[in-house]
Amino acid sequence: MKSKYLFITIGIILLSIFPIFIHNEYYVHMVERILIYSILLFGLDIVVGYTGQVSLGHAGLFGIGAYVAGILYFKLGAPFIVIVPLAIIIACIFGLILALPALKVLGPYMAMVTLAFGTIIQILINEMTFLTEGPLGIKLLKPVIFGFQTQTIHYFWIVLSLSILSLIVVNRILKSRLGRAFEALRDSPVACDCMGVSVYKYKVYAFVISAGFAGLSGCLYAFSEQYISPNTYSFELTVLFLLAIIMGGRKTRLGAFIGAAIIIILPQLLSDVYLFRNVATVLAAIIIVGAVILVSKKLSTFKKVFVPIASVISLVVFSYIIKSIGDWRLTIFGCMILLVVYYLQDGIVGFSRNFYISIFSSKNKSRDDVELSKLSNEDAILYAKNSSTSKILLNLKSVLMQFGGLKALNDVDLIVKKGTIHGLIGPNGSGKSTLINVLTGIYVPTSGNVEFSDKSIVGQTSAKIALSGIARTFQNVQLFSEMTAIENIMVALNHTYKSNLLEIALNLPRFKKEEVNAKQRAYSLLKFVGLNELANEEARNLPYGKQRLLEIARALALDPNLLLLDEPAAGLTAPDIKELLKIISRIKEHGITIILIEHHMEVVMAISDTISVLDFGQKIAEGKPKEVQANKKVIEAYLGAETA
Amino acid sequence: MDIFIQLIYSGIALGMIYGVIAFGYQLTFATSSTLNFGQGEALMLGAMVGLTLSNLGVNYWLIIPIVCIFGLVQGSVVEYFGVRPAIKIKSEFGWIMSTIALGVIFRNLAENIWGRGTYRFQGPVADEPLKIFGANILPMEILVVIGAVAMMLMVEIFNRKSIYGKAVIATANDRDASGLMGINTSLVITFSYALSSLTACFAGVLIAPLTLAGASAGGSLGLKAFAVAIVGGLSSGFGIIVGGIILGISETLTGFYISTGYKDVPSLIILLIVLSIKPSGLFGKTTIKKV
Repeated sequence: MKSKYLFITIGIILLSIFPIFIHNEYYVHMVERILIYSILLFGLDIVVGYTGQVSLGHAGLFGIGAYVAGILYFKLGAPFIVIVPLAIIIACIFGLILALPALKVLGPYMAMVTLAFGTIIQILINEMTFLTEGPLGIKLLKPVIFGFQTQTIHYFWIVLSLSILSLIVVNRILKSRLGRAFEALRDSPVACDCMGVSVYKYKVYAFVISAGFAGLSGCLYAFSEQYISPNTYSFELTVLFLLAIIMGGRKTRLGAFIGAAIIIILPQLLSDVYLFRNVATVLAAIIIVGAVILVSKKLSTFKKVFVPIASVISLVVFSYIIKSIGDWRLTIFGCMILLVVYYLQDGIVGFSRNFYISIFSSKNKSRDDVELSKLSNEDAILYAKNSSTSKILLNLKSVLMQFGGLKALNDVDLIVKKGTIHGLIGPNGSGKSTLINVLTGIYVPTSGNVEFSDKSIVGQTSAKIALSGIARTFQNVQLFSEMTAIENIMVALNHTYKSNLLEIALNLPRFKKEEVNAKQRAYSLLKFVGLNELANEEARNLPYGKQRLLEIARALALDPNLLLLDEPAAGLTAPDIKELLKIISRIKEHGITIILIEHHMEVVMAISDTISVLDFGQKIAEGKPKEVQANKKVIEAYLGAETA
Repeated sequence: MDIFIQLIYSGIALGMIYGVIAFGYQLTFATSSTLNFGQGEALMLGAMVGLTLSNLGVNYWLIIPIVCIFGLVQGSVVEYFGVRPAIKIKSEFGWIMSTIALGVIFRNLAENIWGRGTYRFQGPVADEPLKIFGANILPMEILVVIGAVAMMLMVEIFNRKSIYGKAVIATANDRDASGLMGINTSLVITFSYALSSLTACFAGVLIAPLTLAGASAGGSLGLKAFAVAIVGGLSSGFGIIVGGIILGISETLTGFYISTGYKDVPSLIILLIVLSIKPSGLFGKTTIKKV
């Protein structure tokens, strides 16, 4: 870790002294543009890399930043230090306007909507001549700061310091609860909502923050180029930004920087056909040599490396056929995108990292464990809050859940008493999981009412219901698979934070304290389910039984009054089940009410206080375990009726 | 008033073209839940290939089948290079980016082959307008409406009546189950892309005599057709016709009464509004997410 900071410091020092030694303004300007694009890419990475959405609207946001700067400067003569924050804020506002409708939809829709937004912005910039001077464009001078007219080199330093500042802020945001929420909603949106982290809200946050960086970047761009015109902020630019982010590598700041360098330097290379021929030949040589090494070391097969080799060879041939390269720029970028999407998914940074690991295979896993185990071991689970005197915690009144013609729940009444374990059994397809989905707001019941702590929760969002004290696990495990065990729990601890974005960006004491507390809580919860040794393991690498336990620990992090366990014993071995029973009874000791869905009859019968039986969406029996076991209807539902 | 009716006529013709492209989106979305972000470019290529043939002296009615065959090939190429690898690795990001990339490549190729200019495309019917309800209507506009409806009907009949079409519908309903029933689903997906590009190329030949043919014409058409697909709903055949007409008319009216520069804005704003109120489209069915 220390060497990483050393590299960054050396890099920054080199960057800041380089214009003193190299007087060629062309190169200074080029590096300046790389830094400016990096700022935008830091932000774009939040949306693309972390939340996993495709935005085709970032060129538009970039344009907004540039034109806010241009208009304020040209029409009002506003000073630079006023323009910069305004550009950020206005871009954020536009980001919000875009995000509110766009983020209601998923994947391809989202991409198209952002594309529509980008197109509208470009049209508006072109047409609103009274404001933007239209196709004529706006000319700017380098900014004057406190009466001092900056020169190229001063402006370079301004850009450099702002990009370092952006780097720090982005890093802090992504390492905080916000970054965790962004990753969580990508891995499992449903689980994220059910852990009280509203997917929609956090997607909007991600987008707005990202828009802010685009605005800053656009504003700096306007002063750097000293001339802005509408054609810059086109679909092409958006595609270039995306190429940069995936080529450099998602989820790394270095990747953003490398990506920015590629999309700035490449067009320069492409302007000279002879240089392009040489570059193509060298690239082909590197890839062929690399492929030969991979095949000979049996790390890859001939079939897999065939396509990249064929494409670089055709690139070389292509480079010798064409006469002028500028016209083919976009084709080359398009081919690069195809290549990166399928053969370099982790980008240059990710690829080098994997390559480094596979060569040196250094395992430096247990780095944080020591530090964590020092943390205190207070009781991990909070006692259930007792807000009302009523003995009934949950009251379902004739709930009907209809999917087309199918009544998955048909007129179900259910009363769950405080502090009990309420078993819910029934054959497959009887509506048990549907009931849980109704309780957690994933489905809105067709009719009927659900009262939790005497308040109706029908129609509330999953996140709100979760925060009001209903936590759950899932029948098919829904962990945030690319996050570590402890991070999984910290996502659910999101509700314990009160610090805002500013406190995160400035790393203020309250935020630091909350972070430490959350980490301690998460660790002791892991300890409670016996996973503390695996705190820094990615959830997807845990064995199945442990994943189920992790889900329970994560649900407990919500400090629930009611815990819904959806087949927690499914797929567990006999000793694991024993451990599970202990955990469940210890949860009960803390006054937390549990609804337990389970097919393992010995488990349900052993620990339930009351059992309800569902069949074809209807409640057919209810009572103490013994009574239910003897009930004729129940036996019929499970084994079938005797034929007369 | 005459002008108003005339604008409505041309809006309907334009809307039908959007409808045909949107229909192409529906075809691929049904079989593979993917869309070709370069659909507009397929239309543009259709128009440009048609133009080249027309300049060589080929009869307009003969151009149509040739361009349709070209569309089949172009769609298969898109599916093979852009979509298939992404479906294999289950990457949504993958197919979005690669169809965008292919769209960019096609546009750039067209620019290099045909130049950046726009060209007139001679239609098969007279250029003199007819008078209907006192307003002018171009014969070509009537042809566009007839052609667009005929195209959609033909594909629908093919899907419903022929055994190959039934394989397409089966794949649309449940890809895994169809695979288990012996249907070569990846071939069906390729076919749906081929069909989708065919309709787009056909639309290109239809619209080119009304507008102008040029390499850069594709992008905004593809986007507006997507707006139609969303407004109408990605699962409703009737919806895209209504959606197409609404957007087509809003475009011609804006272009005339406000400014041609703004003509694309209303459709995009309608898109944003519909999505924020009813994400499944005005005629689409709301799907239930499963946990």
